[in-house]
Amino acid sequence: MGAAVVKGWTTLFAGVMLLGTLAGCSGSGSSEITATPSGNTAAPNENVKSTEPPAKQITLQMIESLTSPERTKLLQDAIARFQKDNPNIKVELISPPFDQADNKIRTMLAAKQELDILEVRDLNIAEYVNNGYLEPLDTYASSWADSKTLSGTSKVVGSNNGKLYFIANALYQRQMFYRKDWFDAKGLAAPKTWEELVDSAKKLTDPKQNRYGFSFRGGPGANGNFDHMIYDYNDKVMNIDDAPFTKDGKTVYSTPEAKQALELYKKLYKEASPPDSINWGFQDQVQAFTSGVTGILLQDPDVIKVLQDKMDPKTLETAAMPLGPNGKSLVSTGAAGWGVTANSKSKNEAWKLISYLSSPKENTEFSKQIGTIPIHTSATADTFFQTGPYKTLLDMTSKADIFVNFTPPFKYPGNGSWGELSMKGQQSYLLDKKSTDDTLKEWDKFWLDQKAGMKK
Amino acid sequence: MSSRQKFILSSLLPALLLVMIFTYYPFFKGVVMAFQNYKLFNLKQVHFVGIQNFVEAFRDQQFLAAMKNSAYWVFFSLILQFLLGFILALFLNKKFWGRGVYQAFIFYPWALSGFLIGLIWKWLFNSQIGVINDLLLRLGIIEDRIGFLSDPNWAMSSVIVANVWYGIAFFTIMLLAALQSIPSELYEAASIDGANGYRKLLYVTIPYIMPTIIATTLLRVIWIFNDPTLIYGMTNGGPGGATHILSSLMLNKIIYDGDYGAASAVGVIMIVMLFLYTLFYLMVTKSEKVGDF
Repeated sequence: MGAAVVKGWTTLFAGVMLLGTLAGCSGSGSSEITATPSGNTAAPNENVKSTEPPAKQITLQMIESLTSPERTKLLQDAIARFQKDNPNIKVELISPPFDQADNKIRTMLAAKQELDILEVRDLNIAEYVNNGYLEPLDTYASSWADSKTLSGTSKVVGSNNGKLYFIANALYQRQMFYRKDWFDAKGLAAPKTWEELVDSAKKLTDPKQNRYGFSFRGGPGANGNFDHMIYDYNDKVMNIDDAPFTKDGKTVYSTPEAKQALELYKKLYKEASPPDSINWGFQDQVQAFTSGVTGILLQDPDVIKVLQDKMDPKTLETAAMPLGPNGKSLVSTGAAGWGVTANSKSKNEAWKLISYLSSPKENTEFSKQIGTIPIHTSATADTFFQTGPYKTLLDMTSKADIFVNFTPPFKYPGNGSWGELSMKGQQSYLLDKKSTDDTLKEWDKFWLDQKAGMKK
Repeated sequence: MSSRQKFILSSLLPALLLVMIFTYYPFFKGVVMAFQNYKLFNLKQVHFVGIQNFVEAFRDQQFLAAMKNSAYWVFFSLILQFLLGFILALFLNKKFWGRGVYQAFIFYPWALSGFLIGLIWKWLFNSQIGVINDLLLRLGIIEDRIGFLSDPNWAMSSVIVANVWYGIAFFTIMLLAALQSIPSELYEAASIDGANGYRKLLYVTIPYIMPTIIATTLLRVIWIFNDPTLIYGMTNGGPGGATHILSSLMLNKIIYDGDYGAASAVGVIMIVMLFLYTLFYLMVTKSEKVGDF
């Protein structure tokens, strides 16, 4: 082999390596993770002489998913209280940014990184169980005194295939928030159906004044609205124990009613929502509502505190979720909670922390602070949850024949990817790049594939 | 092997090991993943699928659109960054009062992260509360607000505008340094020969700084092609994938889809494209006697 050939190959190889390096340098710089030791571990009383050997110091790695600065602070405070009672346990709380948290958790789990406690969500419990990431908690929970007051809903949402995998830290149920002053000025009443909501939102819209009726969410989490509408339009045929499937095994996306609902959804965006909202996520839609750009917001109770802090109480009012054409609204309770990783080396200590955070006292206080539904039945007696925006939720709960509970598709491993996939399809549809039929066909196929995957 | 050679080799070994672990291993792992069904949502199904990820990529409208967007993104960003950067460099090459302040203003975007710049421009372009819409409305240029980032017809142009603003500083810095190295005797000689300002630019300035122009433009192409941070901050590839370039699409497949196989396939395609580009780069720099970077 001649020197020139060797030189040529060397140059080529160097080029490839240069590119490899360049490709390696092109990561996003936005995914920061912060590990924060929560509080200071209280020192054991040195004056007390104990004959027992000092307990071995254990460090728990814990990661949250629904991160927000206020929530992280609350968690850190609760963990500090726990550490004070348990000086031999140190907890390191990892708080990734909310929009990337689940993927961070996934990546950590796949790489078998050290992790003891993780925040599991209803939408990814099946995926985590399927991958063998989670430790069943039934044995631990059976000897936990506080499990007696744990609500049935929180047990159901934390379970998969009959086993309990996470203890919910909060329950979420959607309701309507609207600007009473705008409605009064136009002489409108709170909309009761999806049709009425679109009509009211159109009447409130005035682009010249930069006012829009509806706080649309076309970015991450968009499926919360269009799924809701499609379900409500299919209340007669949907299998409420196996959403999004119908009683005869098809999907709700294959029905003429789904087309009707999706076309109404498009009308809601095109005629009553800010054009930019096609990219909006949670923060954007809430900010638009509080800053007086939009007049109607459909959201979980964890926005209550933010709305109350940022808005004049006279302008804020709540109402039940809109109903479908048959006078029904299909509702589900969302949840996230604490689970233990299957390869944790400190499962008992991890459970100790989870049971502490999930106690009626801690959880009720946590729920009040962030505005979610508490997980213990004993908490509903608290007057705090019987007034204001929470009353709407209680009213919806008391009308179970109208607000019909259904089981979301948590058991399907692909459920975790549904939000992103449907969000993209929905954006293309709203931008007229995709027809209603093609959009629904894509979604129908996704769920039929999920069903087929479960049978394998 | 002599003891001297052994010493040199053992000295190089730690650095070599680090490069192997942090650069080459991920690189080869990524290439392997490109031929696998590797989804974080279902790790029990990881297996080799041959070239399926590549076939699917070229069948995917989103990928084809991202390729087209990448071409627009690189071409227009580069041309405008270079032209404006060159004009500013010529302007800053003259002595005038307050030149330092101007330099500071022009150079500061380069000190910010692309993601942060994306967020800033996201607010500037916002339909409801953005300064740009507000200004155009007040000046009577538009009657209705423009959805710069929500209308697919505007979105790509908007992210390119932001990227141009970001990259001007790089060309200004590099070209200004080159301009300041031109000997004044060359201009004096050109004046004696009767050359006016335009001819001096054409026959003295540009030929003298040509090696810098070639090196900076070629290098900048690689950076622009590879960097998704600004797009991520501004639109996250939206609306409906209208602003995805290949690198942002690759990231999206990892962050939101958890599909490492598909993302790696996109990454490998990018590397092949950059490899061909690098060959071209090496040929050009060889003919122009441009130093290595």
